Amino acid sequence: MAKGTLICFISLFLLMGSKAASQDTVTVPLHFRAGFDIGGPVMHLLNNDISSYGVLASLDLNQAVSLDAGLRFTSFSTVEYNYNYSSSGTSVVIGAGYNFMKPKTARGKYYAGIGLRYGLSFYSQEASGIKYTNEWGEGESSIPLSHHTGHFLEITPGVRTELFKGVTIGWNVYMRLLISAGAGKDLNPMWMPGYGDATSGMTTGAEYYVSFSIPYKKIRVIIKPKREEEDEEGEEGAEDSGTTNTTTGTGSTSGGRL
Amino acid sequence: MKVVRFISVVSAIMLLVLLSESCAEQACYDNTDPMMNTLLLESGTGATVEAASIVVMGITATDTIDFVDAKSVSSFSLPLDPGNDVSVFYIVLDGITDTAVINYTRHPHLVSAECGYTFISELTGVRTTHNIIDTLIIENQSVNLDGERNLNLFY
Repeated sequence: MAKGTLICFISLFLLMGSKAASQDTVTVPLHFRAGFDIGGPVMHLLNNDISSYGVLASLDLNQAVSLDAGLRFTSFSTVEYNYNYSSSGTSVVIGAGYNFMKPKTARGKYYAGIGLRYGLSFYSQEASGIKYTNEWGEGESSIPLSHHTGHFLEITPGVRTELFKGVTIGWNVYMRLLISAGAGKDLNPMWMPGYGDATSGMTTGAEYYVSFSIPYKKIRVIIKPKREEEDEEGEEGAEDSGTTNTTTGTGSTSGGRL
Repeated sequence: MKVVRFISVVSAIMLLVLLSESCAEQACYDNTDPMMNTLLLESGTGATVEAASIVVMGITATDTIDFVDAKSVSSFSLPLDPGNDVSVFYIVLDGITDTAVINYTRHPHLVSAECGYTFISELTGVRTTHNIIDTLIIENQSVNLDGERNLNLFY
């Protein structure tokens, strides 16, 4: 008797599970992406002072969160009437991105979200000629080549779409917050590779990436059945008036979003 | 398709913003001239006093440069010679002339990409004649863009 009850209970449980999965499950492919910034070379055509080449890789951890890492080489040189300045170096960023799109809409192809990254810049700078003039006359000096390490934070809202299978294109705006330029308060770099004008505590701009994506895993994201939700509302009544459209998945799936 | 269209339109706008930003030339609006600020004090009491008249000139190898010519002032500001580690001034207080020699070291300081660099100085020593000046002492060694008082002149 007890054995029969147990079998019946398990059967009902499995039946409930399969009902939920068949009605509100979205299969989302997770990708590994590796791409390069096309904004840097385009900017070089417009502004000869800056050469910047960046690559970015990201790994989807689930349908919403991805792990991002980037590497960028930048060189900057400028000749003004009162100074010559040059800097060059490599910057590394590492952080995470969050996709705000519904899994059903995004389907692993689209991204509209925000990233937060920590950046390190390993750079050298020098000013071969500096002139300063006041009522006395002119003074000349120079800053010899020196090596420094800078730190910054990067907030990157952006979008990305699949151009065709295996290739995505996207842009993100960035807002970089300087933690430290590492060169002392008097000789902040005019251009810190990976950050920009380090005389300012914040820099903004945009990056355009073309990426190649490889799906490495598929996950199911379970969305709470509407009927079940209504039933729950009826049962719970005034006890809990707030409901959500999605809920957490099972196995390798994770939480649904707006 | 809607998503692709949205992303394309926003991308085009972003590209235009980026292009317009890269073409923008900016002028220098920052203060680039560090000044050595001096306060006039009454010898003995240390109280701030107003000089009836003050004239300060810089002395170069070939010429003098007028920096200050004012009446009823209790402080004045002077630039230092960016080409040398010493500046010499004639200070004419209430019609009586003294000579002050200021020694310092110079360091470049980045103001901004638009303005370039200026030279900030660290005062290392002062000497004066004593026709009217009692003492001239260093209050703050750093002659920078902060506008802080550097010297106390007692007379």
